[in-house]
Amino acid sequence: MILFENVFKKFPLGNTALQDISFEIQDNEFVFLVGSSGAGKTSILKLILRDMVPTSGMVAVNEFDLSSINFRQLEKLRRSIGFVFQDFKILDEKNVFENIAIGLQITGLSTKEIKRKVTEVLELVGLENKDKVFPIQLSAGELQRVSIARAVCGDRKIILADEPTGNLDPKTTWDIMKIFKKLEGKKTIIIATHNTDIVNSLKKRVFLLKEGRMVKDMRKGGYEL
Amino acid sequence: MRDVLTAIKRTPYQSFATFFTLFLTLFLSLAVFFILTFLYGILGYVESRPQVTVYFQTQTSESDIQKIKDDLLTSGKVVSAKYVSKNEAFTIYQKMNKDNPLLLEMVSPDILPPSLEIFAKKPTFLPEIAEFLKKQPGIDEVNFQKNIIDKLLSLTSIVRRASMIFFGYFIVTTVIILISITHFKIALKKDEIELMRLLGASKFYIKKPFLKEAVFFGLISSVIVFSIFMGVFYLSRYYLQAYLSGVANLSIDLGFYTLSVWPVTLEFAGLAFVFTAFFGIAISTASTLLATQKYIK
Repeated sequence: MILFENVFKKFPLGNTALQDISFEIQDNEFVFLVGSSGAGKTSILKLILRDMVPTSGMVAVNEFDLSSINFRQLEKLRRSIGFVFQDFKILDEKNVFENIAIGLQITGLSTKEIKRKVTEVLELVGLENKDKVFPIQLSAGELQRVSIARAVCGDRKIILADEPTGNLDPKTTWDIMKIFKKLEGKKTIIIATHNTDIVNSLKKRVFLLKEGRMVKDMRKGGYEL
Repeated sequence: MRDVLTAIKRTPYQSFATFFTLFLTLFLSLAVFFILTFLYGILGYVESRPQVTVYFQTQTSESDIQKIKDDLLTSGKVVSAKYVSKNEAFTIYQKMNKDNPLLLEMVSPDILPPSLEIFAKKPTFLPEIAEFLKKQPGIDEVNFQKNIIDKLLSLTSIVRRASMIFFGYFIVTTVIILISITHFKIALKKDEIELMRLLGASKFYIKKPFLKEAVFFGLISSVIVFSIFMGVFYLSRYYLQAYLSGVANLSIDLGFYTLSVWPVTLEFAGLAFVFTAFFGIAISTASTLLATQKYIK
């Protein structure tokens, strides 16, 4: 479960990213964060990942209150979260297998177990035969699949995606969304997006953000601005 | 091991810079280690020789010499005094010149002087003992090695101090260079480190590859330095043998153990390798640890 209670986030230079945000997301829910640029979508994702701390208010993820979390707990929290970035964050000098395995290696799994899990997840994202391929040989859509594979791999319970289809053409966008659909009900998925078509057609829970405020929380919403 | 080799392959210039820096430092350190141990060995050797040798005129009787010996032993300034008769002197002479029949033919026990080999309790007693002996009848020559010991002590002390300064300078320089190289490596892996951090890697997990590389470089540099140094040492053995001719062996008394320095024994070579490897790994790991502490927050 993810819980935000009266969360404010102000940056040192004075601009406000979030104002009085409160919500609760149950396990295995599928949520879209929508809103124009600067609305606070990325800030919410970063607060969940504890890559950022709130100025005031409470953020809790699973059993952790993020305001009083220690280093060990933070490692544990982050090992339960997969993050999909708009710019993929794929390491050029590592091949597809190594890029995905990096998330598993840190948990201390055996090589055999890592190989099994990576093979499984490569199948899920449709990159079965590309494990030895280096990023430079992949298309943008394939890079995003690798990024999703890395986020999903290792039984991560929460998947955060920040504009995962922002750099992709419409067909590839739908292919990527199909992967997220496959994960629906198995993991908590939070996707920050501008893509009207996706939000409108999938009819999932939607948080509408405007200038750092939560304007609407729609159970089966569409894209409204 | 595969990770380390991959990392070296991906940052070849930084890896070479690390290796050459460690190589130079370790090579010079090993050279200083050998010079110091040899100097201490020579010092020990000279100290173990008779500190005062008094040669008597050939006609001096054994009873007169024995009386002088007794006077010395009762003076409280002498540890021991060994009488070397004409015949014993001749035997020593024969041994020393066994390959030169001409010299052996020319000498008989009668022309060799009897002598006393004296060990003083303290080096400061040496001049007094020498003065006492010079006043005795039947004395031909008094040799004492205070000057040699003093000069060796002073040389050893200078080399030791110079080594300290040298070590200090090289440790600081090496640490600074290795920190800079590691900083550069960390900067090159910034994205990977950031990603690992977000995926929940512990600080130690992020630092581990850098530390593994450091241990690897420390060890590899030590092995290569040691092999090259021992190779050079082996090639120069004839020169050393000629230089140390007459010196059967050099050793250092460590109190609890006597370490044989020359001829080079397996245990001395082992100790030199352990010293090099320990120093190499320690300096490389410590520098990397400092760099990762500072630059991986």
